[in-house]
Amino acid sequence: MSTVVCVEGLSKRFTVPRREAGLRAALRALVRRETREVEAVRELSFSLAPGERVGFLGPNGAGKTTTLKMLAGLLVPSAGEVKVAGHTPSERRPEFLRRVSLVMGQKRQLSWDLPALDTFELNRVVYEIDAATFRRRLDELATLLEVGEVMRRPVRQLSLGERMKCELVAALLHAPQVLFLDEPTIGLDVAMQLGVREFIRRYNVEHGATVLLTSHYMEDVAALCPRILVIDEGRLRFDGSIEALRREIRPLRRVSVRADALPPEAELAAIGRVVEKEGGRLVLDVEPGRVPSAVQTLVALPGAQDLAVHDAPLEEVMRALFGRAEEARG
Amino acid sequence: MAERSDMSRGAGPEGQAFARGHLARVIGALWRLSLAEAVAYRVSMLMWMLTTTFPLVSLALWAGLAEGGPIGDYARADFVGYFVAAFLVRQVTASWVVWELESQIRSGDLSTLLMRPVHPLLHHGMQNLAALPVRVGLAAPIGVVVLVLAGGIELGGAGALLVAPAALVLAWLITFNVQVCIGCLAFWLTASSSLFEVWIGLYLVLSGAALPTSLYPPGLAEVVRVLPFHAALGFPVELIIGRVHGPEIARGLALQALWLVGFSALSRALWRRGVRVYGAVGA
Repeated sequence: MSTVVCVEGLSKRFTVPRREAGLRAALRALVRRETREVEAVRELSFSLAPGERVGFLGPNGAGKTTTLKMLAGLLVPSAGEVKVAGHTPSERRPEFLRRVSLVMGQKRQLSWDLPALDTFELNRVVYEIDAATFRRRLDELATLLEVGEVMRRPVRQLSLGERMKCELVAALLHAPQVLFLDEPTIGLDVAMQLGVREFIRRYNVEHGATVLLTSHYMEDVAALCPRILVIDEGRLRFDGSIEALRREIRPLRRVSVRADALPPEAELAAIGRVVEKEGGRLVLDVEPGRVPSAVQTLVALPGAQDLAVHDAPLEEVMRALFGRAEEARG
Repeated sequence: MAERSDMSRGAGPEGQAFARGHLARVIGALWRLSLAEAVAYRVSMLMWMLTTTFPLVSLALWAGLAEGGPIGDYARADFVGYFVAAFLVRQVTASWVVWELESQIRSGDLSTLLMRPVHPLLHHGMQNLAALPVRVGLAAPIGVVVLVLAGGIELGGAGALLVAPAALVLAWLITFNVQVCIGCLAFWLTASSSLFEVWIGLYLVLSGAALPTSLYPPGLAEVVRVLPFHAALGFPVELIIGRVHGPEIARGLALQALWLVGFSALSRALWRRGVRVYGAVGA
């Protein structure tokens, strides 16, 4: 399998200052500065194939953004090897920078007091995009993201969502081969999140670009990424599909129903584990093999309606995964 | 993709010519963007300019003191010419990259510049230079008004004025590189701009902004006049008003070039090491 991102034994250590609260500690720090080493990423290894859409998941401080920044060439690894599009990112060669793009939800490359169009024009020259290609791509991106008029207004006057869309245009005009997205939908309303998510999918499909995405919104990842990498405390905990993760961590299916009368708890225990039983609503976690019989039983309840079978929500799967890791650590 | 690939350019003369052409186009594009920004920031630029009118304060002081007779070889009119020139030279050689760099390194905003295949310092340099027309447009009327009120200025000879642009360019490059050096310290320190305040304190006293450096006591004057502060302000000012001649001009330019080589080597080394320890904070 050809790879466009190859990570082998990647580690990153930071030395951070450390001191207690209070004036005495502040004065002591003047004479003797205490530091400690933080291992943000530990011996991470994975590879991405061209055109893959991969979600990077983990709790706060897990090392997701640090890894992304090492892949983008912003941070120099403490150990290990990284190759992205055939280049070592930390060397930051122009040929590498032309092939990648990094979009950070809380950072902007657009000039604040000028229309986004001015920054697009700068990028056209910087990335050596010929005029016809530039016009075609800009038309395409502006149409997809609906920023035709927006990009003509000073950036400071744009809403967060409009600005993020313009940031995406700026990041994609040079048609990067690898796209790193760090919280691209942070702070956006639901409609805007959906729009950006759909756009990323289309861009990936139409351009064959590799996409590595971090997001606090599990729906972003679940909807966009056939493959996920889960890291915790800088270590890779899982690499595979969301379905495989669910099967491993929370294999039970969630079955819900409304009925006029619900069976007593003892009877329900034979079907599955009761998650919720309130009024006429019942939610059960059921072994995958027992779902057909459970459905049969529940649909036969008096006044049964709204019967549904779901996978466990990704948030719950992640909570269970990290809870398991906590337990393992004692 | 429709763009020419990097591989197709090669490293031969054609490739180098293409790279030079590309650099020129990037400089042009950065200039246009930065000029548009400078126009958008014109009011704050005027406010900032008014905080750099120290030479005009010195003018009032020294011109007043010289009412009773010349001080050294400076009569009242000489002080007027000197300080108006100092005010204008300070405007055209201004840089603010130290604050920009410090803030971008601390906030992590430098990341977006680092992701572009253009050196971030080229971006900053063009931002400073593109503001020049706006700064000159705002500063020139102030200089003209002061000169009209004070009765004119005596300029240097044709030879001195011919090399004055080179001296101004070197002065700007020294200022820019000094600021890059101090700004880069933010890669390791929390507040490098406080260190720049020390530099500014020394600059105001030793550059010729407070008094012409030739008026320092003998012995001290010779020392002060070889320092980078004088190379960044005093020398180009004296060149413009005709206070240095012949070999002194060559010596002044050589000193400027020497300081520039030193500071640019230091800024390059600090940048290269700094980028390797850059924390890229923020998401």
